Amino acid sequence: MTSRAGAGLLAFAAVCLMGVTAPTAARAHHSFAMFDREHPVVLVGTVREFQWTNPHVWIQLLVPAKAGGDEEWGVECTSVNFMRRQGWDRTSLKAGDKVKITIYPLKDGSRGGQFGGLVELNGSPSKLPGYAR
Amino acid sequence: MKGGGLRRTGSAVAAVATGLLALGLWAGAAALGGPRAATNEAPGMTALHADPGQPDISGVWLVTQFFTFSPDRALPKLKPPYDALYAKRMKAFDAGAPIDDVTADCLPPGMPHIMVVPYPFEIMQTPGRVTALYEYAGQVRRIYLDGTQNPAGSDPTYYGFSVGRWQGDALLVHTTDIREDTQADFTGLPHSDALTIDERFRRLDPETLEDEITLTDPKAYAEPFTVTRIYKLHPTWTIGEYVCEENNRNQSLANGQTGFGVEPAAGGAGVKP
Repeated sequence: MTSRAGAGLLAFAAVCLMGVTAPTAARAHHSFAMFDREHPVVLVGTVREFQWTNPHVWIQLLVPAKAGGDEEWGVECTSVNFMRRQGWDRTSLKAGDKVKITIYPLKDGSRGGQFGGLVELNGSPSKLPGYAR
Repeated sequence: MKGGGLRRTGSAVAAVATGLLALGLWAGAAALGGPRAATNEAPGMTALHADPGQPDISGVWLVTQFFTFSPDRALPKLKPPYDALYAKRMKAFDAGAPIDDVTADCLPPGMPHIMVVPYPFEIMQTPGRVTALYEYAGQVRRIYLDGTQNPAGSDPTYYGFSVGRWQGDALLVHTTDIREDTQADFTGLPHSDALTIDERFRRLDPETLEDEITLTDPKAYAEPFTVTRIYKLHPTWTIGEYVCEENNRNQSLANGQTGFGVEPAAGGAGVKP
């Protein structure tokens, strides 16, 4: 995972220091077996698209690659209704936003994962809650 | 003719309004009496009950533990070949490549899975009927208390056919005619076409609903399997829309494994704010 994420990937220790809320284990629409919940990672990148949809909200994130250019990551969040109950709405993120987010990466090493939390939005700490269902 | 029709309609509206007002007064009085005070009905809304003395289990509820059918991860005593089938699913699950999850393709979870999903549901009580409206995939369970028989005969369906009756403070529900391909939980706990389900709903306190669920399946389980599930009231929540087909990027793959749409959804599915 680390090599693929390149410069955008930080250590889990950094996540802990950021005070990201510990998520409650949850996959809703299908099982969460495909995500590595033991080894969350941090992605730093630019939002290409924020898909405010069911069954899952998605963040399409462009992360700078070591070899130059961007790699696109698909980050799966929970449902619209649960995001809304936590304070999110369809304008919480928009294309072009610079974000630092935690994810639980796919075990198979592809560029995707389960949303863990929004650490920074456009350079400022985010108050939007992380993943809880 | 037209005017007469309108007048008649007007009278009907007035009659209904009067009835609702009377019911509202009754509901208000009942609320003062105790058992109705715990509901989460919005001001001005009226609860319709078949019987003023009927226990009240209405409200928006969310299960406290989910993921596995049993909160303590206990399992029914599976008989062959269901034991081997489940072992295969768990092996794939542990390897991070879960298989056979019918919900991956937006098919409904069905019974008994819907009772343990991490989404809220709303129970409504109307004359002769208890209805559960689930946020997850917009599903519905209708529980008939008025002697209605299964109009589908014995055709198996995702939620089966449910009849119920009150026994003291408990609602007893018996469900039959459940499709064999529903699973009991996200791990793929199987059952056979012989499955019947008995439930015992009770409101333990204003904030807490209990459902004791017994799965009886002589083909797949060596003996009936009972779990006790707890749901908490969420009085400020409303049930939101959830259309699974809107932007499902988790379709199952050719090998039965649950997929993950790493790349942007085809055609750019999704709302662009």
